[in-house]
Formats: sequence, C-alpha cells, structure tokens
Amino acid sequence: MLFNNLMEFMGIEPGRIQFSWISSAESTKFVEVVNEVTAEIKALGPNMRFVKEKAKVA
Amino acid sequence: MLEYNDKIKEIAGRLLKDCSVEMVIGFRKGTVPMMNEPHFAKTPADVEDLVWDSNCGINLANYLTDRKEKIGIVAKGCDSRNIVTHIQENKIKREQIVIIGVPCQGMIDKRRITAMVKGEIQEVVENGDKITVKGHDFEETFAKQEVLQMNCTVCQHRNPVIHDELVGEPVAEQTDVDRYADVKAIEAMNPEDRWAFFDDLFKSCIRCYACKNACPLCYCPTCFVDESKPQWVGKSQDALDIKTFHFLRAYHCAGRCTDCGACERACPVGINMRILTKKLEMDGKELFDWEAGLDLDVRPALDVYQPNDPDVFIK
Amino acid sequence: MKIVQIDKKDWGAGLKKLRDAFRLVGPVRDGDYHSFKELDQGTEPDFEFSNTRLSVKEIIYPQSEDLFEFSLDQSSEDHDQMREVAKDYSPRAVLGLRPCDAKAVELVKLNFDTDEYKDPYWLNLYQATTFVGLACDRPCSTCFCTTAGCGPYHEEGLDVLLVDEGPTYLAKALTAKGEALLTAAGWETAAEAEAVIVEKRAAAEALILSKVATDKLQEADTLALHGADFWEDVSFACINCGTCTYVCPTCWCFDIQDEVHGTQGKRMRNWDSCMFPIFTVHTTGHNPRDTKLQRVRQRFMHKLKYFVDKYDQGIMCVGCGRCVRQCPVNIDIRRVCDLMNSYAASDACAVEGS
Repeated sequence: MLFNNLMEFMGIEPGRIQFSWISSAESTKFVEVVNEVTAEIKALGPNMRFVKEKAKVA
Repeated sequence: MLEYNDKIKEIAGRLLKDCSVEMVIGFRKGTVPMMNEPHFAKTPADVEDLVWDSNCGINLANYLTDRKEKIGIVAKGCDSRNIVTHIQENKIKREQIVIIGVPCQGMIDKRRITAMVKGEIQEVVENGDKITVKGHDFEETFAKQEVLQMNCTVCQHRNPVIHDELVGEPVAEQTDVDRYADVKAIEAMNPEDRWAFFDDLFKSCIRCYACKNACPLCYCPTCFVDESKPQWVGKSQDALDIKTFHFLRAYHCAGRCTDCGACERACPVGINMRILTKKLEMDGKELFDWEAGLDLDVRPALDVYQPNDPDVFIK
Repeated sequence: MKIVQIDKKDWGAGLKKLRDAFRLVGPVRDGDYHSFKELDQGTEPDFEFSNTRLSVKEIIYPQSEDLFEFSLDQSSEDHDQMREVAKDYSPRAVLGLRPCDAKAVELVKLNFDTDEYKDPYWLNLYQATTFVGLACDRPCSTCFCTTAGCGPYHEEGLDVLLVDEGPTYLAKALTAKGEALLTAAGWETAAEAEAVIVEKRAAAEALILSKVATDKLQEADTLALHGADFWEDVSFACINCGTCTYVCPTCWCFDIQDEVHGTQGKRMRNWDSCMFPIFTVHTTGHNPRDTKLQRVRQRFMHKLKYFVDKYDQGIMCVGCGRCVRQCPVNIDIRRVCDLMNSYAASDACAVEGS
C-alpha cells in the first residue's frame, strides 16, 4: 500500500497498480480479478511512466 | 545553542577519563563556513576539539553502524530516534553507547543562506537567534528561523527521545507546523504534473550516493544499486534509472526515516529528495499511526501485523 | 603568441560567427550555481561566476557514455558483434573554463594519451574541442591553485586565455587552434597587452590566500606515509560517497558495463569512484579495500603521492577547491596534504605497510 501510494505520488495513474490476495484454491476469484484488472488497465491506456527501453546516455 | 559547547566537552572528558567509553563521536570545527566535520575524541585532551553549533546537521548515528567499541555519541532529537532504530535493527547495542542528548533548536541551511546573499561567504557568525553572514563586500544578519534547514522548520521532536546525559534543558517542541505541506502540494497535482515535477527534481542528480551514504538507515552490506546479478537498476545517468534509485531508496526507509535531513544536506547538487520520504512518513502516520524511533520497546508498525492494519487496497 | 582586444559590444556578433564553425559550450546559470551546457542560438555564456559546480571534464568525458552497440537477435546479420556507436565529434568550443580546469585536462591526458594506450573516446572529444579560458580575478577562499601547479592566469591546457578588462576582453591566443578560433570569430584587433596581463596575473595570484605545502611529498617514503597514524582521524568522517571524485576535474576512473534490453544491447561506461565500497571488489568476492580507511587513504595517496612519483608533474590536484566546498562532511584535501607533507618531513622510520 505504501508502495502503491508512492508510485501514485510520483505520477503513475491511480488504478494502474493493483493488489489482490488469491489462494490457489480460489480459481473463480482468480478469473474474476484477472478479467477486471485487464479491463481497468486497458481503459487507462498504455503505460508511459517508468518505461525504460534503452539507457539514454551520451 | 553555543552554550552546549562546554557541557559537551565536560561530559565527553568525564566519560573518557573514567573509561566508560573508548571514544566520543561529535563534531570538530569545519574548514569552510557553515560546516563541521564529524570527529571522534579518544582522550580527555582530544575533547577540546569538540564543537556544537547550528551547523551540526549531519546525523552522527550514521557512524555507529556495526561498531564494536563503547561509544559516547552526541545526539540531537532526530539523531536519537535513529539510534533507537539502530538498536532495534541490531546495528548497535544499547549497552555499548552513552547517549549525550542535545535538545536541538534547529540547524541552519548553508544552501539557503548562500542563495540569499550575493558573493562568496567568508564567515558566518551565530549569536543566539541571529545569524550574521559576512562576505568580501557584504554583511547581512538573518533571523535563524529564516535560514533553517527545511526539515528543522517542521520538526516536532527536537528533544532526544533517549539519552544518558543531557547537555541542556529540554526545549519547547514546535506545535504549529504542517509537517506535510510539501507532500500535500504534490498530491494536489494531476499525474502528468507530478511526473514532470519529479523529472525536474532529479535532473541534476550525479549518482554520487551522498544522500544514501549520509543516511543512518542505509547500511546494507551491498546496496541494491551496487547489485549486478540481477541488476535492479541501471548505474548510468539515464533519467529513469536515477528516478528509480531515489524512490527505491526512499521506499527502503519507509517506516524508519526520522526526517533528519542528512540526505538533503549532503547532496552536492541541492536536490530536495526528502519529498519522497516525507510522503512515506505521512502515510505511516495516517495509516498506521506510526512515527519512527520514538520508543525502544515498541516494534515498528511495518514489522508487526495488527488485525486492524488498513487493507482497503487489496481486492 | 598574439593578443587581441575584443570590445564587449562585439562579443555577441563574434559568438554568432563562431557558430558557423563550432558548437558552443559555456557556463550558464543553473539554479543556485553554474554548469557547463551547450549554448543554443542566442544564449551567451554567463561569466558572472567563480567556478562551475561540476568541472569541465564532463564536456570531453561524459558521465555516462555509449561505447558499443550490439544485437543478440540471431536472425540479424551482425548479431553478437560489437558495433561502434555513431558519435558527433564536430568541432566545439568551450568558452569560459577556468585555468585550473584546463590544467586538469592536461593532467588527465597523461593517463588517457600514452604510448601504450590511447582512450579513443576521450581523445576524440579532446581533439574536437577548443578551450577558451577565462582568467580569475576574484578567486574563492577555497582556491589553492598557485600551490597546486597552476594559477588564476595559468595557460597550460588552454587554446585562448580571456582576460576581463571591463568594457573589453583581452584574448591571448596560446595555440594554433586558439588563433583559428579568434579568426573565425572575427576578433582580430591586435593589442600590445602582455604587460597588462602580467600585472593582472600577479594581482590575482596575490589574492590566493589558501596554500598547500607539497615540497616533501616526492621524497617521502611511500610505505611510511601509507602506515601513518593520521589516516584514522582523516577518514573517520568520510561517508564514502562519490562527491569528491565526481566534482574533481582530475579524477578519471570509470566502469564499463553492458545493458541489454530484449535483443538489443549496448556497452557503456560510467564514472566510477574509488570511494565506493565495491570499487575494488574482485570476481572472487575478495575486496582489498573493503574498509573506509583503506579507500580514503588510497585516494589521498593517489592524488598526492603515487601520481607525483609516477609522472613527476606535481600533485594530481589543481586546487580548484570543489571537493573542499562540496564534501558533505568537510574532509579537506588541504589539511590532508599538509599532514602528509609534514609527516614526510619528520624522521619517522619506515613502518610495514598496514
């Protein structure tokens, strides 16, 4: 939670980082959460923050 | 605070004379204005070098880590809280140290002062609440309140929370301060502006690690920035790697930082990176009602599980 | 070599002409201090400063620099081959560096340009650069250049020396490169001003009040210095950050490393610091300098003893004072130098290196 708050504080859009506690016996919940998170992140669009492809140096 | 000078020397001399400690860690006068150098005294004669004034912002708890001797240490409010954390994290034993507590009235900020005058500063004289700054062709006097280190302006723990000796009467704690004004200002921004703010904040960082090394909390034998298998963060001047270093270091201090300001003070390019640890400190207070290093007998909030720990963030 | 006089009214026009031949770099105000930056169109260098926060070394020796690129994509024709990175070595002129920084470049050159080995990256940038220095008339209290092998009007390492005369600059061409630059700018009004420069030089040198003693360093016994008893006191405050090494114009150490992303990679180098704990770590895990004392001692021994012995060109320090001003814990090389110099002067017997 502190980490999520720190990331949002620095400019990651709220909702881009999500947490869930799912036991291996909770397959239904797993499916639900995956679908939900996928939809929510897709709605936010591609992530532009904290993306490093190649170090930008001299 | 200059009146503490004699008391510190007296206590240090006494501790060394009767061998209660093998060394006393304090400060000696610096060679440039507004600086003092961390210094140890090992004999009663050495204590004459010890000084105390408003340029003692460096956190001396940083010099205790993993030492084996019996040590006398001069500690202001924030330093003493770091000593508590150090003991709880097994970096020093309580029995090893004699804490010479200093009720602190704030440290002055050399960068702030330098920006307020025009020309090279040759001497800074402290007289109670007045700070007189002298240069080649100027002399200006400021009220100490105008030139305090930023963390001192919002400090609410000026008196040592743990001590064996006290060099003066406890001072009144500041009450009317908004500790998190800076944090709230960022929180009022939208994500784009926040990202731009941090871009700008870290643009001068040269990865010298003065902030990390001045911090008493940063004592890992191998810091994450030095790892290469796996490499958590790049070592170059890539802007993203720089940001990552800073937020990850701040995150390692979550629940432990006492806002002593040593990091900002040490930075050679004047980056105000405290904003990150301040955010974590605010969350610690609001979510866990936790402040680091206040009580030796209470395990830190992030160390223990309480049934009422906030968990709204988990699906 | 010739001296020209530049009316400050003609300064801007001259800079404009220079842009036809050079990329211009100079000090600009950067927050509370000055930094060397590339000057875009219309920006003039700001000479209202004592010295820049970081030295000129970052201009010819960037802190992070690409060396090679490579592809790991097996279907690519040149996979697993190191390719040179396209670099821009077009001519550039640094306007307004101080003589201490210029001397420092020459000291670094002793290391990067030898008969056995030449650093192509450093040399290419060095050779592409024309150094136009600005003499110091108001040195800082932490400057000790006159006892560190240079001075406020020192000419080593410079192609042109600018002297501020109020409404004009005097520009002394020191090399062919320097002359070429003055011609390119159209600054050609000759001046008989050697005497003026000599006088101003003496006045500036007299203002340098901070001095170090280095006369006994070369003859000192290395092991005796190494085993001296003052290192514990000197090194105690050190927090082993890289500030001193990064702001120092004569420090040159770097670390080479690869970074790979997917199938594309690059090999780059970054400034490294002997202050960092892992600087000397071996692949076995052994670290010959794993204590702070050993590292701090090493740095001062290198600057003030090993370099002196190896190159016979004085100390590896130009007295710019940056480390003194910037060290977060106020470790002062001037104090250490005097400790080392006077230790050598005593009759201490050689002790076994510790």
